[in-house]
Amino acid sequence: MRRVTRSSGGVVRRLGIALLALPALAFANADVEKNIANAKNWAMQAGDMFNQRYSRLNQINTGNVGKMQVAWTFSTGVLRGHEGSPLVIDGMMYLHSPFPNKVFAIDLDTQKIVWKYEPRQDPAVIPQMCCDTVNRGLAYAEGKVVLQQADSTLIALDAKTGKLLWSTKNGDPKLGAVNTNAPHIFKDKVITGISGGEWGVRGFIAAYNLSDGKLAWKGYSVGPDAEMLMDPGKTMTWTNGAMAPVGKDSSLKTWKGDQWKTGGGTTWGWYSYDKALNLMYYGTGNPSTWNPAQRPGDNKWSMTIFARDVDTGMAKWVYQMTPYDEWDFDGINEMILADITVKGKPTKALVHFDRNGFAYTMDRVTGALLVAEKYDPVVNWATGIDMKTGRPMTVAKYSTARNGPDVNTKGICPAALGTKDQQPAAFDPETKLFYVPTNHVCMDYEPFAVEYTAGQPYVGATLSMYPAPNSHGGMGNYITWDAGTGKIVQSKAEKFSVWSGALNTAGGLSCYGTLEGFLKCVDKKDINKELFKFKTPSGIIGNVFSYEHKGKQYIGVFSGIGGWAGIGMAAGLEKDTDGLGAVGGYRELNQYTELGGSLTVFALPN
Amino acid sequence: MIRKSMLALLVCFAGATAMADEPLYKVVDGNKVDANTLMGFRTWRQAACDRCHGANQEGMVGPSLINSLKVLTKEQFVTAVRDGRLEKGMVSFANSKAVMDNIDNLYAYLKGRSDGAITSAKVVAMDP
Repeated sequence: MRRVTRSSGGVVRRLGIALLALPALAFANADVEKNIANAKNWAMQAGDMFNQRYSRLNQINTGNVGKMQVAWTFSTGVLRGHEGSPLVIDGMMYLHSPFPNKVFAIDLDTQKIVWKYEPRQDPAVIPQMCCDTVNRGLAYAEGKVVLQQADSTLIALDAKTGKLLWSTKNGDPKLGAVNTNAPHIFKDKVITGISGGEWGVRGFIAAYNLSDGKLAWKGYSVGPDAEMLMDPGKTMTWTNGAMAPVGKDSSLKTWKGDQWKTGGGTTWGWYSYDKALNLMYYGTGNPSTWNPAQRPGDNKWSMTIFARDVDTGMAKWVYQMTPYDEWDFDGINEMILADITVKGKPTKALVHFDRNGFAYTMDRVTGALLVAEKYDPVVNWATGIDMKTGRPMTVAKYSTARNGPDVNTKGICPAALGTKDQQPAAFDPETKLFYVPTNHVCMDYEPFAVEYTAGQPYVGATLSMYPAPNSHGGMGNYITWDAGTGKIVQSKAEKFSVWSGALNTAGGLSCYGTLEGFLKCVDKKDINKELFKFKTPSGIIGNVFSYEHKGKQYIGVFSGIGGWAGIGMAAGLEKDTDGLGAVGGYRELNQYTELGGSLTVFALPN
Repeated sequence: MIRKSMLALLVCFAGATAMADEPLYKVVDGNKVDANTLMGFRTWRQAACDRCHGANQEGMVGPSLINSLKVLTKEQFVTAVRDGRLEKGMVSFANSKAVMDNIDNLYAYLKGRSDGAITSAKVVAMDP
């Protein structure tokens, strides 16, 4: 489908349509906004459209959190990694599971299952899912529960009955195009992405009508301008210290031949939306393959922050963080929108903690690069970001492209799973700080030549990962970050990667889960003050959330070890050379936890 | 040098017991292998088997092939690779020419790893 014309007339026509449609769309948005406005709900995966992960509830606070107890628990009956969190809307909880992607509606009065939905999916998608069969949760609006199934089918269920309302196919799982991301509802659209960067899938973001599931627009990450919904003269990017148009064929020019067709740039992260600007924000993943020698060029627009108009899909601005990736530093992590002071100036900011170890603060209106600093001091593949060009200043000895195929480049920090992966950070409007769950892991990376075969893995590198050397020995940190200056404020060492989404609350708390299975709540003004700790049934890779029911505040989290965190630690156990490193770390994780998916919900005693 | 070649000979012999006449794989110094076994290693990498079975075949989200190859017959191995074990997350490689054309080489390489004769996952060509 061609939706973009180069003539200005086309743009004007589209704008006209958007303007005409606005009054109706405002209502569509209103339901989600109303649900978010009620602090008793947890109406979106991040609690709001800004991805802030902040709860305004304050019944559980720094003074009483120590007395918090388990209120109730629920088993999903699924063993694999449990990411994301349930939603709570008006006394009903909507819960998802990893593959087979069950959906439960639970009445919070009785904790009784009101309905359950289990899609029928070809088990052939299981082996196609990189890094475990996770699913990052549901979306809700206007009485519809939206599920993005693993096999790429996007469905809407009647929130009252669980009846299927519509179903649409988002990708071809036979080619490795599967899904793990949560769908996001912005305005009258359901926004979803695609996974499969390790299968040569060409990434895109797609918007479907919430009303009927029909495709409204689809913007690819790489390829011809028209298919990327990019206007060469109007889509802007950071160039030589200022914003400038991307120009014609900005992606095609940066790929050798047809390689963009299997070029990756998948989109499986968390998206955000600014109503005032009508822009949605997300990041694109690694270029395929992991062997850089096979794909010379910047591989635009993989590894990129995108801002798109929600009505038309047109790209307003883009910023590529890691041109010509040599380390699998997917750029898909969440885009957090916050109005903060940046270098002394009040700013409508977008803050992004990238896998590559740099945290970026952008002007979310214009796309200008404001701050880019390391959020783990061990990051070594680049010395910094050149603020004029926006490009990383790479270090030759850690360049897997320079060292070439079949050479093992050692000691790269961070590892491919990044200083942070998808586990989302929180922003606290009171402290104005970001609370970031991080990995503290380095790697050896050996690329090698691979051939593309449709529907087969297309990876091209062998990795081994281990705790950051010469540090505290642990594989994670929980940090607070000042995005206005680009500085770590506090850092709390963790034994394992912190692979759980953070939650901050008006009760002064910052809560996160650990891979051993602990839910921890710390004082948000001093994160080294651990105020609460409880061991859930399995390792936590889910996101902490909070809701209120019948006058009582609850804090909950999925446990269920898995994901890349669970398996990634076992990657490349070099028995003879590694000594204690990853072997020790992983074996120790086995002493704490086993598979098993369940929800644990906490509250203060009566 | 003499000790090394004796060791190589011993390993060849061990490999030969698995198959009737031709040795399944040849290995010197634990990591220098014959051309077919080297192709087996390259096939292992091309198919990204390490994603699930671990960079050293010791198992991860998928089982340890060091152990499995002690139990599976060659036929069972071929069936598992060709058809996959979808419920368990094992890919079907029937459509991968690279894998199917090299299934004997892949088996030889993994058997060598399982036997303990090939002592590191990464192997290189032995001197001609």
